[in-house]
Amino acid sequence: MAAEDSAVLSARGISVRFGGLHALDEVDLEVAAGRVTGLIGPNGAGKTTLFNVLGGLLEPVAGSVHLGGADITTWPPHRRGRAGMARTFQRLELFTGMTVEENLTASWEAAHPGAIFGRGRPTRKQRVAEMMELLGLERIAGRTAGELPTGLGRMVELGRALCADPRVLLLDEPSSGLDVGETQHFARILRQLVAEAPHNGHDAGQPLAILLVEHDMALVMEVCHVITVLDFGRRIACGSPDQIQGDPAVRAAYLGETDVA
Amino acid sequence: MSTFWPLVVIGLFTGSIYGLGALGLVLTYKTTGVFNFAFGAVAMFCAFVYWQIHDTWHWTAWISIPLLLLVVAPLIGYLFELLFRPLSGLAAEVPIVVSLALLALLEVGAQLIWGGQERGFETIIPTSSFKFGSFYVGWDQLGTLIIAFMAGGFLWWLLRHTRFGMSTRAVVDNRDLAAIIGVSGDNVRRFAWMVSSTFAALLGILLTHSQELTTYNLVLVVLVSFAPAVMGRNESFPWAFGGALGLGVFTSVLHRWSTSGTVANIEAAVPWFLLFIFLIVLGGRLKEPGLSVRPMAVATGTLSTGDMEHMSARPRIQRAVALGVGAFAVAAVLPTVVPGPQVSVLTYGALWALMAVTLVVLTGWAGQISIAQVSFVGVGAFAVGHWAGAHGQNFVPAALAGMAIAVPLGLIVGIPSLRLRGLYLALATLAFALIMDYVVFNSVGISGGLTGILDHRPRIFGVSFASTTSMYELSLGVLGVVLAITFALRQGPIGRRLRILRDSPLAASTLGVNLTVTKLVTFAVCGVVAAMAGALYGSYLQSITPINFQFGLSVQLLLLVVFAGRSVLTGAVVAGVLAMIPALIVSLIGGGTIGANVGNWITLAVAVGVIGLGRNPEGTVSLSIQEAKRTLSVMRPRPRRYLGLGSPLAPERLEVSSGG
Repeated sequence: MAAEDSAVLSARGISVRFGGLHALDEVDLEVAAGRVTGLIGPNGAGKTTLFNVLGGLLEPVAGSVHLGGADITTWPPHRRGRAGMARTFQRLELFTGMTVEENLTASWEAAHPGAIFGRGRPTRKQRVAEMMELLGLERIAGRTAGELPTGLGRMVELGRALCADPRVLLLDEPSSGLDVGETQHFARILRQLVAEAPHNGHDAGQPLAILLVEHDMALVMEVCHVITVLDFGRRIACGSPDQIQGDPAVRAAYLGETDVA
Repeated sequence: MSTFWPLVVIGLFTGSIYGLGALGLVLTYKTTGVFNFAFGAVAMFCAFVYWQIHDTWHWTAWISIPLLLLVVAPLIGYLFELLFRPLSGLAAEVPIVVSLALLALLEVGAQLIWGGQERGFETIIPTSSFKFGSFYVGWDQLGTLIIAFMAGGFLWWLLRHTRFGMSTRAVVDNRDLAAIIGVSGDNVRRFAWMVSSTFAALLGILLTHSQELTTYNLVLVVLVSFAPAVMGRNESFPWAFGGALGLGVFTSVLHRWSTSGTVANIEAAVPWFLLFIFLIVLGGRLKEPGLSVRPMAVATGTLSTGDMEHMSARPRIQRAVALGVGAFAVAAVLPTVVPGPQVSVLTYGALWALMAVTLVVLTGWAGQISIAQVSFVGVGAFAVGHWAGAHGQNFVPAALAGMAIAVPLGLIVGIPSLRLRGLYLALATLAFALIMDYVVFNSVGISGGLTGILDHRPRIFGVSFASTTSMYELSLGVLGVVLAITFALRQGPIGRRLRILRDSPLAASTLGVNLTVTKLVTFAVCGVVAAMAGALYGSYLQSITPINFQFGLSVQLLLLVVFAGRSVLTGAVVAGVLAMIPALIVSLIGGGTIGANVGNWITLAVAVGVIGLGRNPEGTVSLSIQEAKRTLSVMRPRPRRYLGLGSPLAPERLEVSSGG
């Protein structure tokens, strides 16, 4: 199977302008099933902008976004959610007044039509239980999400996104606020998810696709199969972690940034 | 043409009064992020203080006006700043509710001090007029215009050419940076509150000379300033002032056609129509500082593993059901031990609890604030009044008709919620409530004007509910059914759907929730249930007037619900109990001076309560439940475990901390 065929989510020729500023200039991106795709770049490179275009919070002036076979460029966020896209947020967006279990349950219900009228209750319970077990959340199932420390909050947000049974998962700076141990734990889970996560969703059998926007280079190099590098709104490189680390253009882009090691 | 220009000039005069109000509102909003719903009440209160000093104690205007503007008003502003300071940084709803509570507090306080009757004020400026071109202009009108412009000019000078102005702009731009360079935000805010309050006082005494005033209608007149304040997007003084002048001229010119009653009603509602439309059109472009703050969750205690973790949901639900059924059983047998008049009072409480349920769902669960819920109650009540027939035989179809009318109305109130939250949603619902007051409830054809119409006790499937006891049983039965359904919904997918709407609309939408549909349906359903409550409420009262459904009652309902606990159904029941206390006291000790004021005292108490618990928007009931739980868990000898960062997740945490 050719690489393009397995791309669950793809963006082609995305351009975004804020006034006269070219935030994104004809950027391409592909997120394949069974892979963790990294999206990196120095501050202001356009990562968040691209992320928001993919998530439907921002409409590009040119280019298209495809999910599965469908052109979703103009779809509102909730339609993308229904079509199998789930995301987390750089700044935690938990349902703070609800318990951890309710967070996951509400997500499953939001993503599955008819669930609000009680359809598919056994499946829902099973899925939520599986996910809590996978992420080690059973112990805090009854706790109010707003009370949790960031590390646990990130896990709950991940679990919530996964309970929507997505085909593609977008992670926005998931390691911010995590300590080293928690980050490693997180990395293990990501690897596990693309490798073996049971997938009950839209096209059964196909493993999950993950897009990871991240500052933590160690994490990116450790978990990503493919990395796309943005700089000044353009794609300057795309390849395996080894290729990216050896790429002169990437080095040049990052050396301009003193704060990135 | 001959009548056009005089109307324009008159419009400028009234517009300048609104302008003064709009400037005062924008000033505090810009500097503190608080939109002062109580602005009109401050104006009213100051006007009555002036009446006390000047018209009753006969102090000369030369003393009483400076006393009012330079001492009394700034003092009120100072107190407001003290109240609002600890609230900054909390969810947007908190300052809204607290300022609504201040509105109620000042309104009721003024009624307790000065009574609710009309007061004639001695004029400050002579009312004689002079000829200007082809028409006459009153000195008082011209004086008002000049004073308003002078006040505007003073504000402009203050902001542009003084140290205060510089500090204000620094604080508005970036509070933290301003603090670093030594500009005290507290001083700026305090001064802004004081100036704004002085503007309110000025507005109050300028208004008094034009009409006979009660505490209520003075507040109502000043409320109109909300519209131009929002037209200036709550940040531009010139736009706010200009908008006010434009609004004044526009409504004044409309006078030409206001020959009949209906048109006059619509005319009074014009500012509110404009505000409502403006809010929808401006939508997301309205900045709201409070919104950058996360909506508050239930107050967080220590991060210990409490009871929740060890007790699964089932026993908790069972306990709640047992309590609810028990309370219902007690309520059901009450009529056998309680005499007739008190049974009637209980009915009143049950129906207010029913209204409160709709607000708990809408505001507490779904996070959509509404100051229009009693308008829906009115729709149901008037539908029954018109269509139920003399013996209430058509009660069911009439009530259903009222509920059907509530559907489109609910959708209309829901529209602003698609793009607005917090303050601007509150303002939009307030505008809707006032439109309903003016256009629907004040129209003689619908409500019978001030005399009102008769409502009829229901007859449902041949069973008459004319007696006091049967009416109580019916109301309690409906309340019980609604509470049971709502309780069941809360535990299920629908309850979760509403609560994720409150906690994070953004996350909900990315998960696949259609926010538009969810919000509109919620507003419509809550409106329909409120209309059903209204059908019962109207037939309980038996004689209804527009006064029963004024926006002020929506404010009261909101305050009761917030006070009692807006996110739990128990809160709705407690709100109903609180609502009936005044009537209960009156029915026990009879009317008279105490009885007449009991309602005011209760409102006062609730307002004070709301102001006091501004820090915890979850209300007294939730708070006491939490406190009780905490006390219980302390008493139980279970060791408290603390959830450290990442404790259940990262076994390597120890190595990490020892290594780093």
